[in-house]
Amino acid sequence: MKKIIYFSISVFLLCSCTTPQLYSWGKYQTTSYNYLKNNDEKSTKELVKTYQNIIDKQTGTRRVVPPGVYADYGFLLLQINKSTEGKKMLAKEIELYPESKVFIDRILKKLEK
Amino acid sequence: MKKITIFFVIIATAFTSCTTTKPILKTVAYKGIYSEKPLSILVMPPINKTTAVDAKEYFHSTLNIPLANAGFYVIPPYLSMEILKKESAYDGELFINAPLTKFGEIFGADMVLFTIINKWDKTYGYVSVGVEYVIKSTKTNEILYSRKGTINYSTSVSNTGGGLVGALVSVAATAINTAATKYVDVARVCNGYTLSDLPLGKYAPVNPKESEEFAGKNEFNVTLNSKYGY
Repeated sequence: MKKIIYFSISVFLLCSCTTPQLYSWGKYQTTSYNYLKNNDEKSTKELVKTYQNIIDKQTGTRRVVPPGVYADYGFLLLQINKSTEGKKMLAKEIELYPESKVFIDRILKKLEK
Repeated sequence: MKKITIFFVIIATAFTSCTTTKPILKTVAYKGIYSEKPLSILVMPPINKTTAVDAKEYFHSTLNIPLANAGFYVIPPYLSMEILKKESAYDGELFINAPLTKFGEIFGADMVLFTIINKWDKTYGYVSVGVEYVIKSTKTNEILYSRKGTINYSTSVSNTGGGLVGALVSVAATAINTAATKYVDVARVCNGYTLSDLPLGKYAPVNPKESEEFAGKNEFNVTLNSKYGY
């Protein structure tokens, strides 16, 4: 019983102090879920908006766009036929995270074909 | 008298040594991560052993945030999902025991995360989920991180109205809440708990006390609520 109380208290403490995170993700959780579930025009638009918001208003402690956001945003833009913008975003991912070069270059090459 | 005391001490030590497992330092439990210093991680589609059909993709979509927030480079989830599907590799089962060098070459991944959903039971007031997380190195194929357990996610709605009617209302609300509980909410709580032990990656500020921290249990059974998510 004591253990349970102790555990509940520690869980409560963990939740009550919100530690600052490296990145802010805006509404990503919800819009990403809706996009996966519905995959329609409305959910796509909302996900585009979310990505744009993560990029423009980054409030995480690193103050940079989180890993994968430029790339996945670019990929989404490519799917809605905004290929110039999409490719630009993919290039930004490499610029910010050079470790993504191996993978993203492969994608960019495939697009050139 | 002395003999009895010594005897008692021995018995006591014997007892404690059986019941409590010694905590292990993170630097020992996850020594591969400290020596390899991996930077990038590819999230594989979860291995779904339950009959809950949608669990796989919804679980998949929740894994990038906790890993990125822990300081790692997460290979773009949607883009990698697409490539895996195109290459008919959208199956964690195929690779969990296979050499992972190719994932290093194609995705530039230092590590690969496999997740296994073993159980997904909804009962009144709870969703009980059995999960397993295994992170393997693409360089050595060794397991770098592994935790497994049951998370009982509380979906109970507290009684706010008071009295008998209030209690009945909260019982009904709890039942509805359990039924409507989304995979993603539960997945988030599972990820938040299971990955909280992960040593920090390159992009996270160095935690000077990390080398003194003890690793969490690699097998667990816990009850949590939605506040544990992220």
